[in-house]
Amino acid sequence: MKISASAFFIAMLISAPAIAQQPPETIGHIQNIEGLASIQRDGVTLPGAAGAALYRGDRIRTGKPGAMGIVLTDDTTISLGSNSELSLEDYAFKPKEGKFALALRMMKGTFSYITGQIVKLAPETARVQTPDATLAVRGTKLLIEIKE
Amino acid sequence: MANQQAIRADWSLKDKLPGLLAAGLIAMALGGCARQSIILVPDPEGRIGKAEVTTSAGKQLLEKPGDMTRTSGRSNPPSAVTTADPAFIAATFGEALAVEPPPPQTFTLLFETGTTALTAESLKSIADIVSASQRRSAISVSISGHTDTTGSDKLNDALALERAQLVKALLLRQGVKPELISVTSHGKGNPAIPTPDGVPEPRNRRAVVIVH
Repeated sequence: MKISASAFFIAMLISAPAIAQQPPETIGHIQNIEGLASIQRDGVTLPGAAGAALYRGDRIRTGKPGAMGIVLTDDTTISLGSNSELSLEDYAFKPKEGKFALALRMMKGTFSYITGQIVKLAPETARVQTPDATLAVRGTKLLIEIKE
Repeated sequence: MANQQAIRADWSLKDKLPGLLAAGLIAMALGGCARQSIILVPDPEGRIGKAEVTTSAGKQLLEKPGDMTRTSGRSNPPSAVTTADPAFIAATFGEALAVEPPPPQTFTLLFETGTTALTAESLKSIADIVSASQRRSAISVSISGHTDTTGSDKLNDALALERAQLVKALLLRQGVKPELISVTSHGKGNPAIPTPDGVPEPRNRRAVVIVH
């Protein structure tokens, strides 16, 4: 028991730095920002900035006044008006392995959404969720308003 | 005593019933108001796609420019499709549209067969890529390397990567910031011109640079 516990501890010591060194994969960037905007990541709120990298699971928010434009690595382009909230719930873009996923959740606000290569290459893997509805988007540009 | 109070409470509830009913009707009417609007519009290149809006009570298909449906709760079907008023679009989405990132700029650079030597023409495009990334204050410059279908997969994967790396080196030398640049190899798996295996195709021997 003692041996297995210390073996476990050593295994943790070895694996922890390996996990820490693995940087999260950048799935996109903030391209434009006006006014108030932030990224919520792992329970921490970070100020939004032009050029900031976005990761899977990020939740992005604009204040009032505030607006933000983001581009994902497959060219998916989303811009948010003021008082808007969007969660990048799932994302995979690996054309060489044929691996694709795009799940966006729009909670509130105004959005302009231009589809990218994921919708072109694997439309059935892309999904947008709003409080009321599921949007199956087959290209190319949608405007969405969600009142609180 | 407790019973009497309960009865009295019940009566007082009955007294208020018409008021409660009215409040309920108002709430239902409000609930019936549109909470979400979804509009299909042409993209920056003028193309129009399709979108299907589904709630647990029904769905609507948007397929023409300006097609709009509205939803009022998950348990109600989306409204019949109407055409969005351009004034409504401008008023509601003006802020979001104003910060919409411009479409990316794509550059295709061609190579001599089996080598990492850029064609003379493509060598000149390096300067165009550099000026585009400065003009746009680019946030990313992604380079993908590709080959034609001659040669083995292993060779092509390596060659495609070398081509992308070469373009990266040229861009770095011209002052593009290293943190903006990402490099991938697509080997022969993503041809510009699909061909059978073993076909030399100059247009597939390329690196594609996308500037955001």
